[in-house]
Amino acid sequence: MTNTEIRPVGPEPARTRKSRRTGQIGKSSGSTAATTIRTRGTRLLAVLFLAPTVVGIVVFTVAPIVGSVVLSFFQWDVIDDPRWAGAANYRKILTDSTVLISFRNTLVFMVLAVALQLLVALVLAIAVNGRMPKWLRSVFRSAFFFPLVLSAASISVVMKYLFNQDFGPVNWLLGTVGVPSVPWLTSENGAMAAVVLAYVWQQFGFSFLLFVGGLNNIPKEVHEAASLDGASGVRKHLAITLPLLSPTLLVASVVGIINALQVFEQPYVLTAGGPGDSTRTVVMVIYETAFEQLRFGEASAVGVLLFALIMAVTALQFRLSRRYVHYQ
Amino acid sequence: MTDSLLPRRALMRYGAYGAGAAALAGVAAGWDRLTGADIPGRDDGSLVIATLGSAFNPEAQRALRDGFREVHPDIRIRINPVQAYDWSDFFSKILTQIAAGTAPDLVYVATEGVQLFAQRLGVPLDRWARRDAAELRTYFADVHPSLVESMMYEGSLYQLPVEFNAADMYLNTRVLARTGADLPDDDWTHDDFTTLLRAMKRSNGDRFTPYFWTNRLWGGVVPWLFANGTNLLTESKAPGGDWLWNAFYPEAQRRGRGGGYRWTTPLADSDRVAEVYDYLSSLVQEDLCTRPEGGDGRNLVGVFSTGRVGVTPAGGFWAGGLHQAGMKPADYDVRYFPRRRTRRHQFGAAGYAMLRTSKLRDEAWEFIKYTARKDVMTQLFAANQTTPARRSMVDEARYRETGPAHWQVFYDTLDKIPTTGPIPAPPQVNEVEQLLIKHTGTALSSPGAVRPALRRLQGDLEQAMEREV
Repeated sequence: MTNTEIRPVGPEPARTRKSRRTGQIGKSSGSTAATTIRTRGTRLLAVLFLAPTVVGIVVFTVAPIVGSVVLSFFQWDVIDDPRWAGAANYRKILTDSTVLISFRNTLVFMVLAVALQLLVALVLAIAVNGRMPKWLRSVFRSAFFFPLVLSAASISVVMKYLFNQDFGPVNWLLGTVGVPSVPWLTSENGAMAAVVLAYVWQQFGFSFLLFVGGLNNIPKEVHEAASLDGASGVRKHLAITLPLLSPTLLVASVVGIINALQVFEQPYVLTAGGPGDSTRTVVMVIYETAFEQLRFGEASAVGVLLFALIMAVTALQFRLSRRYVHYQ
Repeated sequence: MTDSLLPRRALMRYGAYGAGAAALAGVAAGWDRLTGADIPGRDDGSLVIATLGSAFNPEAQRALRDGFREVHPDIRIRINPVQAYDWSDFFSKILTQIAAGTAPDLVYVATEGVQLFAQRLGVPLDRWARRDAAELRTYFADVHPSLVESMMYEGSLYQLPVEFNAADMYLNTRVLARTGADLPDDDWTHDDFTTLLRAMKRSNGDRFTPYFWTNRLWGGVVPWLFANGTNLLTESKAPGGDWLWNAFYPEAQRRGRGGGYRWTTPLADSDRVAEVYDYLSSLVQEDLCTRPEGGDGRNLVGVFSTGRVGVTPAGGFWAGGLHQAGMKPADYDVRYFPRRRTRRHQFGAAGYAMLRTSKLRDEAWEFIKYTARKDVMTQLFAANQTTPARRSMVDEARYRETGPAHWQVFYDTLDKIPTTGPIPAPPQVNEVEQLLIKHTGTALSSPGAVRPALRRLQGDLEQAMEREV
């Protein structure tokens, strides 16, 4: 770096800014014109490349979010025109026990599902990253990822049969080793456990792939140096693998939490939110309020609250990550 | 002041952007909402009919479409089979289509949705029924008046029922043989029923469930409530409807008829309702039946046909399903639902409802009439996937191949038990059913849970019924 490249800190002199607009400082007019055209061409190209994505985001993400926020201040039943409701929808849902229980259930589900998902994915990623034939590693990677490409609804239908207390193979297997029949879908704790297990079985493949990639990025020399220093396997994972994998853990947990807070198919198909309200989640309440009870305004208000919750949890994660995430 | 020039210009630029966006929003707000129907080519002037996809097989759908085209070559029709698990799921999908601005002209609607559609979306068929009375006389003579009454709302007729299903009791005869029990009498009681379940449990082992039921509005707790002389909601009749009864039914059959059912005050905290829940709770505790969340119609055919279930409530729709699952006519049979205080049974019926948004109302009526013809219904219901609403179609020939031996029970549930009525389905039906399912699950979770759960059900139902749909 030469001294001439060093620029003073602070606002640029006005003359320089002006020169950027007119292109008349320090350059001949011909080359300046060519530069301007090139710059404009580059900008136009950039805009063209970005346009499909921007249009997609505006049409399919921003507009529905804005639409939901607006709709949350109206009463709308699909059939008649919307009527202004002010904050009535918010007042109602904040005193509705089903809505409040659904937020509690969703948070409980999120904690259990994300913790289990990350743990299973990490343990399996470390195991698969160990010594084994290349073909076997490929088999494991494919097998663990495979559930992710299946439809959650069809998995849940199968899981409902597997977890059936009277006819399900899970209880039959447990029965062969003397475990009494477990009321998987018919007791509050059993139902939540079944929903979490069904969800984690399908979702852990994504975190698994992230961890496998993250593990491959950790230099082998660091582990070798720790071995020379006499560190045990567990100690190496706690002191080296986890800190160096923390950026990947952050990504996996952010994605996992956002997905878990929006869980719908598994509880909807497996338990229909029961027994009672014990597995009713926020997105289920949104669906039922909107499409079964025709209260789209209230459903939108619940959706806005869920959106705020997701944003808050994600922001908190990133804030905490400053302390706990180590970048190499 | 060069430094302040940029912010000011930027401010002006952003202000211009804002004004432009506001102008665009204003123009957009001024326009009618764009809907799916505005997509070029989407609205081709056809009469659009939404049916429950699984109700008719593809051949039947084609026959329905082609047959109608032969009779009415001037009317273009498009049948839109909506795949859904049950009626509630079906309505949700239809409402989504309405929200998208692509409402069909006709919707196949079951009892669960009759009043919801009638109140908010439906067109009364009275003027067409009066106009074509001569043509419809043979239809009404063949259809039980209770089915027709269940399709009326506040004095008007909204649908012509083409099918129905009453909750009778199916029994696996192979399980009965293993148990050493005979087919129950026509007049069996809930005590006889309990005795049979206990005997089945003793003879068939731990992995066997004597009674399987599905927690929903049709065929769940409601038939037990009817048999105990009560209901989930207070039932009464709306005034009116004389124009129909006087025109189509003889004196004996029109006595006590009105302008359709009304379901109002919840009865969940009444003693008779509690008796029913206590009884079901005792069956759950004795391991004689599935728990509310355990019963699921999706695997019922499988577990019944393989002898892992002995008894289950179902209508004529199950004869076709069991036949497809490989059961022989002698492998199962059907009986009335066991009586308690009364013999009253519950049923659900279905037919086509015309939507207010339809611009092809006369054409829609022609389609409704067409589907009520006996030859058309015979073609549609060839697989015994339901009970035809026409009495003359429920005969020995229909059930010879599929069974059951006592197929007469299906229509006799209407003809011989005149109190038989529809499941309670007010316009707030979706919320009512959701609450029923939720609180039934809680009520039957433990012996002491019945009354607290019913009190909560009562409170929630009162709120739901007060709500304007």
